[in-house]
Amino acid sequence: MTFSLLHATDFADRLLYKIIPPLKAGMIVLADRYAYTAFARDVTRGVDRQWVRELYSFAVRPDLALYFRVPIDVSVDRLLARRVKLKFYEAGMDLGWSTNPVESFRMFQGKVLDEYDHLVNEFGLEVIDAKASITDQQRLVRNVIAQRVQITEMELSDDEPV
Amino acid sequence: MTSPSEPQQAPDSGADDGGANGGGLTGRYYGRGIPYLPLESYPGKLIAIEGTDGVGRSTQIQLLREWLEVRGYGVIETGWTRSMLMQPTIELAKSSNTLNKLTFVLLYATDFADRLEKEIIPALKAGFVVLSDRYIFTALARAGVRGVDRQWLRNLYGFAIAPHMVFYLNVDVKTLIGRVLASRGMDFWESGMDLKHGDDIYDSFRAYQNKLLREYSSMADEFHFKVVDARRPVDRIQDELRKNVAAFLESAGRPADRPADTLALQPR
Repeated sequence: MTFSLLHATDFADRLLYKIIPPLKAGMIVLADRYAYTAFARDVTRGVDRQWVRELYSFAVRPDLALYFRVPIDVSVDRLLARRVKLKFYEAGMDLGWSTNPVESFRMFQGKVLDEYDHLVNEFGLEVIDAKASITDQQRLVRNVIAQRVQITEMELSDDEPV
Repeated sequence: MTSPSEPQQAPDSGADDGGANGGGLTGRYYGRGIPYLPLESYPGKLIAIEGTDGVGRSTQIQLLREWLEVRGYGVIETGWTRSMLMQPTIELAKSSNTLNKLTFVLLYATDFADRLEKEIIPALKAGFVVLSDRYIFTALARAGVRGVDRQWLRNLYGFAIAPHMVFYLNVDVKTLIGRVLASRGMDFWESGMDLKHGDDIYDSFRAYQNKLLREYSSMADEFHFKVVDARRPVDRIQDELRKNVAAFLESAGRPADRPADTLALQPR
């Protein structure tokens, strides 16, 4: 519960200082994770599904929500290739499912991914296949955004891969 | 078959309803609760003492605690912002000027959740009497006055356990002002200065506390408050509290009704 509520507090603070003001100014806000992360993660930790949705009912509904979907094995391989140690909470070690961080990560994040799959339909998330190359993903993302958001010609012409 | 004047029925149903003297609310969550902490029939008792700032809660709780301990009950106290996790954070946040009504509410809810999981529920499991100096109603009243959606608040605190008894120490603003000025003076938050009613702390205190008292009163029926007139002398109030608590603990069942390991609650 405290894990969920502290994140909600942080989110409320960012919403009111960092998200709503630029929206009022007509800017585009790119949010790296949103309330959906809390829905998936907190429910996996055992918080009531409906409660956490109502908790976040003060959040602004995004114009577009992208979900980068990746199988658990790819996710583990990528993380292990880049850094030695998985983070304690990211691996769900607080739940005590396994004393092995990698095993715990697999179990916990596997369930988180299952929750995300429910969210896709419930909230109309746009799924991006995150197994693909970064260039392909970015091209797809730009296409999706171009369809949904009014962007001027000049901004669109910048389609160089990252 | 069922004769309406069946005398045998009365004692049986009376025994089943042993806990109903506490308002029939015992041992349940107000809302959706905490799925990973299902409430079983814990032997402990949760008693909340509610009321606005300076109404005399801590004095009454101290007296109640001594009385209960002399009678052989294990007692634990809990109160707002006393959680190990949140106290430093809340102090820090209050001293900066970045808190808004939403983050304020959520920080307090986190504090409450921490105390519920780490103090209140374990104490109830172990058979203690938990005296709560304020409960969720203070949070609901303060946030309600600040314009936070009341339905959202009730859902937020849906993980709270309904206390066995809620005493509401009721006072009028005039009496309250006299007491607060005679003791420690008016402080920024208790005067609702964040609501910017004006620069005058006296006017702000009166306006803010008036609203708070109305907010508390509006919850009295919804949450089954036992309203106690707190304008009377300390002893008279304490007598009333003890009488009610004694009657409740009496009705809550004899030691024989409980598992053998719950010694803390057995009256001597």
